Amino acid sequence: MPDAPLVAMHGIEKRFGPVQALSGVDLDLHAGEIHALLGENGAGKTTLMNILYGLHQPDAGTIAIGGREQALRNPQDAIAAGIGMVHQHFMLVPTLTVAENMVLGERGAPMLRRGELRAVERRLVELGERYGLEVDPRARVWQLSVGEQQRVEILRALFRDARILILDEPTATLTPVETERLFPKLQGLARGGAAVVFITHHLDDVLRWADRITVLRHGEPAGSPTPSETSAEQLARLMVGRDVTLMRVAAGRRSLGEDGGGRRDAAPVLEVHGLCADGDRGTPALEDVAFCVRGGEIVAVAGVEGNGQAELEEVLMGLRRPGAGTIALDGQDITGADPRERLRRGLGLVPSDRYRRGVIRELSVADNLVLDRIDRPPYGTLLRVDRRAIRERARGLVERYSIRVGDPGQPAATLSGGNAQRVVLARMLTGELRCLIAAQPTRGLDVGAIEFVWEQLAAAREAGMAILLISTELDEVMSMADRCCVLYRGRVVATWERDQLDRERVGLAMGGSGPEPMVATAPEGA
Amino acid sequence: MTSATSVIAAPAGRLGLNRRRLATVGAPTGAVVLALLLGAGLIVAAGGDPLSAYSALLDGAFGNPLAFGEVLAQATPLVIIGLGLALAFRGGVWNIGAEGQLFVGALTGGAVAVELPVSSGPVLIAAALVGGIIGGAVWGLIVGVLRARWGVNEVITSLLLTYIGILLFQWAVRQPLRDPAATNGLSGQAMPHAALLPDLPGVSVHIGVLFALVLVPVVAWLMGRTPFGFRLRMLGLNADAAQTAGVPAGRMAIRLMVISGGLAGLAGIVQTLGVSDRLDPNLSVGTGFTAIVVALIGRCNAIGVLLAGLLVATLQAGGQAMSVTESLPYSIVLAIEGVFVVFLLIADRLARR
Repeated sequence: MPDAPLVAMHGIEKRFGPVQALSGVDLDLHAGEIHALLGENGAGKTTLMNILYGLHQPDAGTIAIGGREQALRNPQDAIAAGIGMVHQHFMLVPTLTVAENMVLGERGAPMLRRGELRAVERRLVELGERYGLEVDPRARVWQLSVGEQQRVEILRALFRDARILILDEPTATLTPVETERLFPKLQGLARGGAAVVFITHHLDDVLRWADRITVLRHGEPAGSPTPSETSAEQLARLMVGRDVTLMRVAAGRRSLGEDGGGRRDAAPVLEVHGLCADGDRGTPALEDVAFCVRGGEIVAVAGVEGNGQAELEEVLMGLRRPGAGTIALDGQDITGADPRERLRRGLGLVPSDRYRRGVIRELSVADNLVLDRIDRPPYGTLLRVDRRAIRERARGLVERYSIRVGDPGQPAATLSGGNAQRVVLARMLTGELRCLIAAQPTRGLDVGAIEFVWEQLAAAREAGMAILLISTELDEVMSMADRCCVLYRGRVVATWERDQLDRERVGLAMGGSGPEPMVATAPEGA
Repeated sequence: MTSATSVIAAPAGRLGLNRRRLATVGAPTGAVVLALLLGAGLIVAAGGDPLSAYSALLDGAFGNPLAFGEVLAQATPLVIIGLGLALAFRGGVWNIGAEGQLFVGALTGGAVAVELPVSSGPVLIAAALVGGIIGGAVWGLIVGVLRARWGVNEVITSLLLTYIGILLFQWAVRQPLRDPAATNGLSGQAMPHAALLPDLPGVSVHIGVLFALVLVPVVAWLMGRTPFGFRLRMLGLNADAAQTAGVPAGRMAIRLMVISGGLAGLAGIVQTLGVSDRLDPNLSVGTGFTAIVVALIGRCNAIGVLLAGLLVATLQAGGQAMSVTESLPYSIVLAIEGVFVVFLLIADRLARR
């Protein structure tokens, strides 16, 4: 790079309590480039970007913007220096219009005159046209799709004259089609003289779209390979620090799937018919959903977040009441059973929100491993909890599921996402289940942890368990599923057997362009 | 608040002790010191001398067996109710209607004591206590069922049922259980002599205090050593995860309302048989509400509730003596009590960080 970097972060150190989040990290961002910041969960990617955006103060190190060293004490400083950030969870007020969201938080915003708001709207239209980010400035944010909301977030940064754009996991909530649309726009921004940096753990996105790559591992720089000269395997190795065998798990599954293994004859374990349910706002979230999972097979429910997966997971586990339809386990109706009864009959859930439903942060890891069996011997009888039995179980499972924790007595809050998921899996898979619902089981996990989860699910399948895999990740669906259906706006819009499974068709169906012509659905996005 | 932090933080750094442990001890100590200082300001403002007022308070609480007996007697209902509330709060069930459950328990237990044709003291007392527990438990059960079945907020129902419970009691002492000898309408029937709780030997305090003392380890064991206690903690910490792991949230809410209501009812009948000796509409002036504070200061922990109950009772009983001997208005006593509570709750938050 001939020109001086737009941003030069040098020797950044950051410590949170006992955890060294970053040490000796350098990062240069140049005008005109897309820079990928790659790393496992907890590698310090978001921390580094939060420092650049003024949300955290570094313990040591310097930040120079446009060649001048600067202290970014808060986001206001960062915005003034031309930095914009698009967070993973959008920071928009749903009830306000796009234009109103632009000026929100700026001085004088509540007293804004109508004419001034019109000026804001005009500028948004102009910015949108220039960068191909068209959004109706008068639309209310709740009416927009996730992809459009992300566009609004990017527009907000541009509206504030950002020349440095940070995107935290920008593709996490997008459909494959929306992802395909996002990156060319980011390239357009870069060509216009901006520096774009995005945080991700999707290796494909990095290889396809990034001009430069910085890999972090455990808060330290692990390498800066050139995209054209590297491979997914090498990137994974840099992230994790060892060889990763994702592909092997996937390949192993594929051959087993072709063998069949007699699973065709297996009786249905989980059967769902005509299931309807309302979402939290009382609007229909599931309509006439039906499927069946046999013992020894993995059925994937693919779909973009917000198309009824959360409700499906809750209804199946008895945490939400269905409006209509039946659920049967091993031929017996369990539609009205509570979660306790379902667990007793052998239906388990690896919840999508593992901190809300999976673990109790305040309790120890050992306690979290017996949440569902504290009243069953040997862990507890009616009047007594056997601490020693709980400790022994914890010691065994920590070893068997390689849960990285100093002492099982530590609270679960100290676990990383991957280790928290190991705890949930350990609890579920030791529960003599007939059927496991795995909802977004690898969401937010790093490559090493994903590998582990997939192996466990594959092993459970071999042991004859029926597995329903609810997933937004196309890769996961493609490598794990024996059968796959797509949930779109609360309906099952397509189903394929493994041998008919086609990546592109699944991706299109997830975005609403199913194999059959759809009835009265507006095209996604503008 | 800043000064409270520095009080705690400074010695921790210097002595290099376990910070957590020091915070659990240091924070409440700092809170008590600050509350005493602010209370002294209030006493001066009311025209008193803080030093002699505080010594009068201590004297009024611990000066003689009679005074200490009064502290124990006042602590008894606070601890009994506070233990039940500690269980409920730990389980995320916000029963704030203990006052009403107390009155209903006093009414049902008192009715048993009056109406049961039994002359043996122990039998009569036992029957009355059971009657009181059942009355309070039923009052709690209503709240629990409403929450479990239809998700009705227990804070509202338990509070509103308190007024109904108190009014029910007042109606009863005017009509069916009215004292035939009383000239004014608001006095209920006297308890039969055999039903009155005997005093402990040596101190002038009824044996009800023993119930409180026995309940402390029972509740501690229930909370810390049984699957029931484990599950109620799960519910209180993360109700979603608890339900997903198969804890029946509705049934637990009902059980916790029945237990906390039953213990409030027990406190009501103990007060009736041990202190007022009749169905007295002035049986409690907010004891059920003060017990909420006791449970919270005691961190919803059995031993903590015992200590908090004793502290509040000391302030109350000693304060009453202080206001008489120092001729200070009783409202000063209430204000000091309030200052203590606020500082202790702040300290609790700080210690938890």
